[in-house]
This record gives sequence, structure tokens and C-alpha cells, in this order.
Amino acid sequence: MSTPDVKTEKLVRVYESKKRRPIIGAPKITLVVAVDNLDLEIPQGELFGLLGPNGAGKTTTVKMLSTLLTPTSGRAWIRGLDVTRDSQKVRKIVNMVAGGERMLYYRLTGRENLNYFAELYDVPSSQVTRRVNDVLRRVGLEERADEEVEKYSKGMKQRLQIARGLINDPQVLFLDEPTIGLDVDIAKELRAFIRKQLVEEQGKTVLLTTHYLAEAEELCDRAAFIFKGKIAAQGSPSELSKLIVPRVTIELTIRGAAENEIRAFADHLGVKTISVESVEDDPSHFRKRAILDADSEEIIPRAFEYFHARGASVVSAGLRQPSLEDAYLKLAGK
Amino acid sequence: MSFFRVVKAELHKYYVQQFVSYRTAFWFLVLPFGNGLLYYSMYLPFTSTVVQFSWLGHNALVDIVGFTLLGQLLYTFFVGVTLAGSAFDTERVQGTFEAMLLTPASRVAILLGGLVVATAQYLWLIVGIIPVFLFYFHLGIAVADPLALLLSLFLTYTALTALGLCLEAFFIQTRKGILLGTTLQEPVALASGVIVPPSAYPTQIALLTYLIPLTLGLISVRLTLLAGGMLSEVLVPLATLAETIAKANGSLALF
Repeated sequence: MSTPDVKTEKLVRVYESKKRRPIIGAPKITLVVAVDNLDLEIPQGELFGLLGPNGAGKTTTVKMLSTLLTPTSGRAWIRGLDVTRDSQKVRKIVNMVAGGERMLYYRLTGRENLNYFAELYDVPSSQVTRRVNDVLRRVGLEERADEEVEKYSKGMKQRLQIARGLINDPQVLFLDEPTIGLDVDIAKELRAFIRKQLVEEQGKTVLLTTHYLAEAEELCDRAAFIFKGKIAAQGSPSELSKLIVPRVTIELTIRGAAENEIRAFADHLGVKTISVESVEDDPSHFRKRAILDADSEEIIPRAFEYFHARGASVVSAGLRQPSLEDAYLKLAGK
Repeated sequence: MSFFRVVKAELHKYYVQQFVSYRTAFWFLVLPFGNGLLYYSMYLPFTSTVVQFSWLGHNALVDIVGFTLLGQLLYTFFVGVTLAGSAFDTERVQGTFEAMLLTPASRVAILLGGLVVATAQYLWLIVGIIPVFLFYFHLGIAVADPLALLLSLFLTYTALTALGLCLEAFFIQTRKGILLGTTLQEPVALASGVIVPPSAYPTQIALLTYLIPLTLGLISVRLTLLAGGMLSEVLVPLATLAETIAKANGSLALF
């Protein structure tokens, strides 16, 4: 089995949180466990999501993996390189993009920003211009590259951040809430870029932190829920949803059956009835809409048979699989 | 990893950021003249022509213009290196500090880049201000021991540079760089004899000022450049400066 691109073993980070006292008096110091025995493995070329509420430990994890923070205990490796002992080598093969409008020099142009970071990453001098032009093209900023960053829109700044994140052609990229605060269409464009260009075309390993669960569902090959620094569950988005919320919601529209008959059908199969109500645009109340909570979609064909045998009919049947949001809400106890 | 590429990149970054307008460039070029006149006029209540200068039993009378000009020269350098570290505060606020630390670039090269930029004003002082003062005020120079002068200049600048790098390295660890950098300036200006003659202090306080490398550098440079001082007269400050450099280099190795 090949070495995973990202691996952590019992990774811990404890912060000292200082509570300020007004003018006189020493600050009250409390210890906060931001990341608590985190075990993670991300194989090469995978887009992995780290999901959780604010303060769950997502950014702290990313900072430790990108060598910005030293772990309090435990170990982490990037492509087999220890993030603490081989930090200099790790920095050459990783990069991080954070959400918001930080990590850029506003008085420099987009191109000057990228040239600066290319020098710091020791991109060979003969390749700097080509590399900068290449990343600018990839993020669609070629035409505005020579304008000062302070004149950029929020979306452009975020795209420039991505370009900065790609300037050293990293093998592992950490995206920390990359779409936070972006317009819906720009966020969608960015998600497509991450999935298609970074992962599918360039084969980069991406660790994405987000609290937008739909984003993780759309993008990630696998994901993990993190609460109070601990991994609560991990797997593919559908696995996670099914694992945590193993039931499906079925919506049936039935013609010619009374409410008590529908409830009897549900009782007969041991299925929980969430609601039965008349279809709004049917003044005769001849059609009913039933929402059932079941183990699987297998009850749909049985509903067709059951009501057909009783002179009624199932007009339509819909199925809603549990989403990551359902799983998240259940894990968070909400 | 090319050390000088990083220094060059830092220089370019700061240059573009600081010279964003003609107004900035204008004040950058004009302010040192104002400062020079200020330091000169602050000495006038004490003396209008020569400064009574004494060091470990050696006494000399030094031309006031040269005396204050050398003070400004070295003090500006000191302020430059002190503020270089506090520039990291700005980087921290705009988030570029993290982006910088994400890279494998040499940390010492980053520090040195900041330091070189911070002393850019100093270079202008040398090429722009000194010639004007020399020409206009007919500044008197008296060099009796060129070796002593060279050693004084070399050790003073090296000690201040090493001290600046140490302060930068320290400022990286804290969020109070600007506060500390600014707090250091005034006491050092007072204690080192830049704005008030050291002879104006009571002896005990004057002794305390010798703890500051800038004071020692000023003594040796002023003595050897303006008062014909010999190596034997400046051996003590030079040895102390050499010790400062060694200590600073040791601290940087830890960084």
C-alpha cells in the first residue's frame, strides 16, 4: 500500500487562552484543546473534507499540517515527511489558501504578489514568468494581473489567493474555507475549479475545510466530521450520511385511499408515518400526500402493490436520501 | 534556496509598497533634513559651537554640527533596524505573515530583507544629507588613526545590525512589535547623546547609557572621526561592541 499524502497520528494541539483583565492584574490563563488525538489518512489525489462548526479545530489542524503551528503532541506526515522534523521539505510541497481577503499584499499588483511568492518558493528564475502567467490564466486573472490588488473584487482576491496557493505547484493543497463570503456564482465557479482542475486534471491532494455541508457533499471524495477537536465520523459523503442517518424519507402521492388506510399500510410494514395530508390543488381531497420514514426504498414497490389491491393507486413516489446536513445535525445533537 | 533572491524579493516588495505616491517619496527625502536641523537645534541650549566630549578620562572638543550629524546618522540606522521588526505586525494583520512563513524561504533572509529596506532612509541620509551639511556648515573632520575609525564604523554598524536582527526575530514571536519598537526609540535617543549631550546627565545615569550599543558606537565614531581619537582610546567601547555582536549572533543561531 502506498504512503498516504497526509497522515496524522494522535495529533494534539493545546492553546493557552488568555482572558484579559482590565489594566491591572495578570491575565487568567486557561488551556484549550483545539485538536484532540486526531487520526487522519488522505491518499494521493483525494479531495478530503474536514467539516465542523466554528472552533471545531479545522483551521488548527490545517495550520499544523502546513507547518505554521507545532503540534503539542502526536505526529503528522506529508508524503512521508514529518511536519515538525522535515518542516523545510514539507513547505516545498504544500501550500494553503485561506478564505477571506487576507494573505495578499494590497498595494502590489496581482502579478507582483505572485512574483514575490515565486521568489520565496525558489521557483527557478527562468520559469518564474511562465509559472506566474500560467497560474494567472488558470484562475482567469490574466487581464487584471497588472492592477493593484486593492482594486480587485472579493472574488478576484480569492482567485488570486488560489493562484498564490498554486505558485509552487504543491502536491498537497490545504483550502481553509475557500468560498467563505463569496457570491453564489463565484463560489460555484471556484468549486468547479477545485474539483476539475486541481483534483481531476492535476491530481493534487486537497484537504478542504468548510462548514458549508453542501459544498463538501458536492466536492469531496471523503470527509470527516470534527467536533471539539475530535473526529466524530469519516467516510464518503453518502457513507457518512447513511452511517449517521440510516433511514430514507419517502414521499408518496396516493389516489383513492383514505388517511386511515395509508396509516394502516405504514403500520403493516412497521414504517413510521411522518405526515399524511390532502394535496393542496385537489379540492376533492381524492389525492393524499404521505411522508414516511423508512429503512430503505424497498417499500415503494410494495406500496404500489398494496394500494392497487385495494382499488387505489400510487400516482407518484419520491425518495430523499439523508444529506450530510442531516448527518451533521444529528451528530451535533440538533 | 537562494538567500539573496529572498532578500531581493523583500526589497522589491517594500519598495513598491512604500513608494506608492510622489507624496510619500517627497517626505521620505525631505524629512531627514528636518530631523538634522532638529537634532542640531536641540543641542543649541547647551552649546552653539563645540561640544565638550569626554570618555574614560579623554577629553575633546568636537564641532557641534559634526557631533549631532553623527548622532543622527547612527540613530537613524538604529531606528531603522528597530522598526524593521515591527513591520511584521503589519504583515500579521494583513495575513501575509502566515503566507510568508508557509514558504521554505530562509527566515534570516526575510529578516535581512526587512532590515535592508528599513535602512533605505539611512542611505539617503548618507548620500543626500551629509554632503549638504558638510558643504554648508564646513564640517571639521580630524582623523588621527584611520584603523581606529574603520574598526569603529565596522563594529558599530555590525553591532546595530545584529541587534536589529535579534529584535526582528523577537518581534516575530510577539504581537507587540510596533509598541516595543517605538518605546525603545526615545530613551535610546536620550541616553545615547543624540539629542542631549551625555555630559548633561548625572554621572550615575551617564554610566547606564553605556549599556546601549548605540552609545558606545557613537563614542568611538565621534572620537575617531571628529576628535582625532586613537585606537587605545576607543578599545573599551569597541571590545564591548564586539561582545554585543557575539551575543546577538548566538541568539540568532537559536532562531
